[in-house]
Amino acid sequence: MEGVWIDLAKFGVSLVSILALAWLARWLDLGGDERIRSADQARFLANAAIEGFEPVDIALDKAGIGALLRDAQGRQMLLRRHGAAWVARLLDERTEARLDRGFLTIGTGEKTFGAVTLHLGEAAGVWAAGLRRLPTAGAKRA
Amino acid sequence: MPKLPNPVDFAVPVFILLIVIEMAWARRKAPQKYEPRDTLVSLAFGLGSTVAGLLFGGAIYGLMLWLWEHRLATVPWTWWAWVLCFVLDDLLYYLFHRSAHRVRWFWASHVNHHSSQHYNLSTALRQTWTGWLALSFLFKLPLAFAGFHPAMILFCGGVNLIYQFWIHTEAIKRFPRWFEAVMNTPSHHRVHHATNPRYLDSNYAGVFIVWDRMFGTFVPEVDEEPIRYGIVRQLGTFNLLYAVFHEWIGIAKDVWHAPWQHKLSYLWRPPGWTHDGSRDTSDTIRARWQARQMAEPAE
Repeated sequence: MEGVWIDLAKFGVSLVSILALAWLARWLDLGGDERIRSADQARFLANAAIEGFEPVDIALDKAGIGALLRDAQGRQMLLRRHGAAWVARLLDERTEARLDRGFLTIGTGEKTFGAVTLHLGEAAGVWAAGLRRLPTAGAKRA
Repeated sequence: MPKLPNPVDFAVPVFILLIVIEMAWARRKAPQKYEPRDTLVSLAFGLGSTVAGLLFGGAIYGLMLWLWEHRLATVPWTWWAWVLCFVLDDLLYYLFHRSAHRVRWFWASHVNHHSSQHYNLSTALRQTWTGWLALSFLFKLPLAFAGFHPAMILFCGGVNLIYQFWIHTEAIKRFPRWFEAVMNTPSHHRVHHATNPRYLDSNYAGVFIVWDRMFGTFVPEVDEEPIRYGIVRQLGTFNLLYAVFHEWIGIAKDVWHAPWQHKLSYLWRPPGWTHDGSRDTSDTIRARWQARQMAEPAE
């Protein structure tokens, strides 16, 4: 029984320690404020995310929190900020593509990845149309 | 035989202190090396793994003891046995680690350690909760059956784990050549955590990098190419439970949807393998990268 109490005490101390470390990371303002500053940077990030993805068409979010990219094969990629890093998904089947003037909300079909709203300005409509032309998930499987 | 403590218990305060020091370094040099939510997830992984250890460690130790009671020989409790045990345990760690990257069932557990896009000391504590399910302990059994006492094996494994903590950092560039030649170092292990095609599936060592050099899996760090950390398909979420179980969920879905003749392949083939070739394995990614390198003349 004593061993159980020792284990519980260790657990409690560890829990407090990890919360303190996470708080310290926030207090020290770690993580920074990563933004995509240029098409070249978006191109680099896209190629880093998927080897061989060479975009020929890029739409950057006005605030630099994400981008939509298309390569010569017509593949479309969503790139978005994830904390202090970047994540990407190939958009190869039709999911959410909601247009609200210059804003385009894009879903990936992944609940944990979530939907992303990008401010693309005038380009938003063209990209929305492109995303709506993608095959549906059912059609793709068939 | 004396009852041995868990060496990791004694190392934890040092782990915390070193993380604080590295955070202070990051604040001055590169704040993006840490991300508070990522750090919290990594540390929660560490805490959860200790709970899993408490829940399943007893049964695994019991199995080791049973094997030791049916051992092939008796290894004495003496200094050279400790040295031998440590070296052999590290060799078995290499084998475990290599399997953990090449067999999806093992990878489903080990992927947890790689799913951070950051490489810092908190990443070292990003340990799996499901190692027992992945049967990682199988790699500990041969030593017990050979005659090493389980307490000795687990103590050596603990020291091995402690050694591997400090190499998860970008704050240290390189050590003298002789040290880099023999020991696993931050430079070698950065390569292991990289998703750059040239680095995929390399540097599996725990303590001694000589295993990678011997078995042809060593790749040196190239200063000109920035390292990208994480996994080939980054998680894109800080959801702890998803981070813990996502590959197990992926296996379940794939096995469910796969034709009967391919179902088992989704368990034992490399991560990314599919029966219709619709996803990438590390081999296909590297092959594509190599083909591009050949096609594009060096600048």
